[in-house]
Amino acid sequence: MTTTTAARPDRTARPARQNWRVRLRRDRSLVLMTLPAVVLLVVFNYVPLFGLVTAFQEYDPLAGVWHSTWAGLDQFQRLFGDPLFWNAVSNTLYLSFVQLILFFPIPIALALLLNSVLSSRVRNLVQSVVYLPHFFSWVLAITIFQQMLGGAGALNHLLRNNDIGTWDVMTNPDTFALLVSSQVIWKEAGWGIIVFLAALAAINTDLYEAAAADGAGRWRRLWHITLPGLRGVIVLMLVLRLGNALTVGFEQFLIQRDAVGFDTADVLDTFSFYYGIATGDYSYGAAAGLFKSVISLLLIWGANKLAHAFGEDGLYRT
Amino acid sequence: MGLELNRRSFLNAAVAAAGLAAAGPLLSACGGGGAQRAGVGSEAALRAVLPAYVPNTSIKPDIPSVTGGPDVLTNPGFLSYPADRVATVSGVPGKNGKYSAVTPLWGTIPPAGNAFYEAMNKALGAQLEMKPADGNTYNTIIPTMTASKRLPDWIQLPTWWNSQMNVGGLVGNQLADLTPFLSGDNIKKYPNLAAIPTAAWRTGAWGEKLYGIPSFATGFQIAGALYYRRDVFDAKGISADQVKSADDLMRLGKELTDAKSGVWAFDDVYRYVYTAFGAPLKWRVDNGKLVHLYETEEFYAALDWTNRLATAGYVHPDALAGDNANGNTRFYGGKTLISSGGTGAWNLADLQSGRAANPAYRRGGLNFFAADGKSEPRVYMGAGASIMSYLNINLKPEQIEECLAIANYLAAPFGSAEYTMVNFGVEGTHFTMADGVPTATEAGKKEVQAQTYPFLASPASAVSSPGGDVVTKDYCAWQTANVKALAKPVFWNMNISMPQAQATADAGQQVEDAIKDCYHGKKKVAEVREAVASWKTSGGGDKLIQWTNDNVLQKHGTGQ
Repeated sequence: MTTTTAARPDRTARPARQNWRVRLRRDRSLVLMTLPAVVLLVVFNYVPLFGLVTAFQEYDPLAGVWHSTWAGLDQFQRLFGDPLFWNAVSNTLYLSFVQLILFFPIPIALALLLNSVLSSRVRNLVQSVVYLPHFFSWVLAITIFQQMLGGAGALNHLLRNNDIGTWDVMTNPDTFALLVSSQVIWKEAGWGIIVFLAALAAINTDLYEAAAADGAGRWRRLWHITLPGLRGVIVLMLVLRLGNALTVGFEQFLIQRDAVGFDTADVLDTFSFYYGIATGDYSYGAAAGLFKSVISLLLIWGANKLAHAFGEDGLYRT
Repeated sequence: MGLELNRRSFLNAAVAAAGLAAAGPLLSACGGGGAQRAGVGSEAALRAVLPAYVPNTSIKPDIPSVTGGPDVLTNPGFLSYPADRVATVSGVPGKNGKYSAVTPLWGTIPPAGNAFYEAMNKALGAQLEMKPADGNTYNTIIPTMTASKRLPDWIQLPTWWNSQMNVGGLVGNQLADLTPFLSGDNIKKYPNLAAIPTAAWRTGAWGEKLYGIPSFATGFQIAGALYYRRDVFDAKGISADQVKSADDLMRLGKELTDAKSGVWAFDDVYRYVYTAFGAPLKWRVDNGKLVHLYETEEFYAALDWTNRLATAGYVHPDALAGDNANGNTRFYGGKTLISSGGTGAWNLADLQSGRAANPAYRRGGLNFFAADGKSEPRVYMGAGASIMSYLNINLKPEQIEECLAIANYLAAPFGSAEYTMVNFGVEGTHFTMADGVPTATEAGKKEVQAQTYPFLASPASAVSSPGGDVVTKDYCAWQTANVKALAKPVFWNMNISMPQAQATADAGQQVEDAIKDCYHGKKKVAEVREAVASWKTSGGGDKLIQWTNDNVLQKHGTGQ
């Protein structure tokens, strides 16, 4: 995530370029505050970039990066010729698309709904309840689903004992995308509303009053005040979501991979894990990971351009 | 395996699954890097250096071992803890040396510098700095140590991770060659080490040299077996001895499954049943030609059977959903009646956990059978040991001798004074004798972890479950009944280092995934055949078979 959108300095108001030393003195407390985050970013996000070189090698952990054999683009050639890889790519895109359609609007709707609740006690209660699943691990979340909807779970037990026939929810590859989306909704929707609630709180209440005085009903106010007020944030979240289109989650699929089969559940991240790390074929995994990063970079760039085309700030401006 | 290893439920699901890999030939990948590698050595040269075997006769078991053939031996059983704890080591073994030791631990890590460690250091006459590390992530921390060449003086590397930890590349580079100290009669200087069966030393040998010190050696090493709820079978009047073919087992599935009451006959069983169909563990030699498991019709017959088992509805839905972690809970709760797993699961802790769920709980092992009901039952043996420790190559010869003397102390036989100290601590502080059984005190439970010192060296496995003699008797009887079925697979107990491309093909991830989907009833056998066909060509399978034929079979034989 990033917070660069928070406050864009107003270029026109700034006086002539100041000496960097003067600026440093002025902003030193701010610089100091961001320093830990920068160090974290450098150590965990930039330094490991060096490891990308293994994607072009026959990497051998014992020989190390310096002494492993150079393989050029061999790993990529193998990767692009591997049907399992393309299967993982298409699964990833498909799941990402389904999640975008089903999951993305939910936190916005929830936030609007919560915002319209007047009683703060009810609002806080609902908020806490829907937040809670976010703090569960995927293992726990899926166990709960399995206990409720699994073949030996509560629902099927009830159906079976009433001779209605069972409903295969957890191990049906055909409905897997719906299953994982509903899991994501259950687990993350509550967490997702935070940013939208914040944006709603930032909308000037005078506008509502003025509109109400002019005779605008509930829906008109929603359409002409609330949604335009949220638009920047929605577009920002959409850009981020598109940039992460190839990241649909890891544990969720790792855990349920055996339940529906690898050809349904393998996404790019599990592909790298099973065919790279688990079999000691590190270079192959690195190649798959690098491919994913490059595509993600293009996606985020493209989505940002699109946001600019719609007149929004998006993630950044150049 | 002995109670001491298992009472803190050492073999959790992950380890049991990982241990399965140890049953095949022991693989280690090597890439194209410059490091010197040790592969399979010449059989004759290895035989010449293997340590002499001098069994220990000072302590007599209640249920003696039964020999089933060369290198095949049931574990001895003890119904009571030996009262006179004989000392097998005179004086202290150490010479005030200071050594660091890292071992995996599946459980709660005891506090550093605790009273038990101090008492052990005093008994050993050396400063052995124990640094147990979380077993669940052990395979990820070792590669970082080896990459930076910072291994401790003494390290435990379980053989099922040989490939991942690249032990074949480490021996002779970072791990010390123990051949000069242990070969032939040299080992007699360490009588307790000499009492460890030869097969286990072979497991720790690379090339023609000895590197590893085995723990929990056993002559009854198999991947695992099928288990059943003996109490439930008895109550229903079913005798498990009647299961003599795959059809018999399928019929049991129909008889025992009662989905309405939430009871299914089976948990996942494929991994422990496929060889019953005559499929090899991984390799077979047909008329001099090396054949991979995936190429055999017996393999597909086994898949077909397990696939039918799943689609017929005899397998618990949670197992079909890939939830293996709760397999034991299902078995204890009577939700499944036939399960499978490593033999490490059959112990006192199992009895206690099972009885907590159902006081009548009793685990039984199905005898090995041939699927057709006519052939000789057969189960393939694993390596002689799966817990293996190594010494750092930077140690001086006199330091290695000191460590080996310490290992000799740690390997003292079941019930000896040293064994009691290593496994139970100091009497009065860490344990008290209750009904002739060493019982851990609170301090003992906290400080004396079974997976610390015994992971550096231990005597050969013995069966003992004080307070639960039914386990000892059942398990020993089952071993005795099945000892004749044990057979050596092709490339038995051979350490093989192969290039990365072959190691990847050997892992056969895409086929293994298809197999899993097949025995979960989600893929047809024909789809596994397709996966195998693509594995052979684009997955490097054909090259693996060729490589293994040229570099292992032709040069070193089958190892049987």
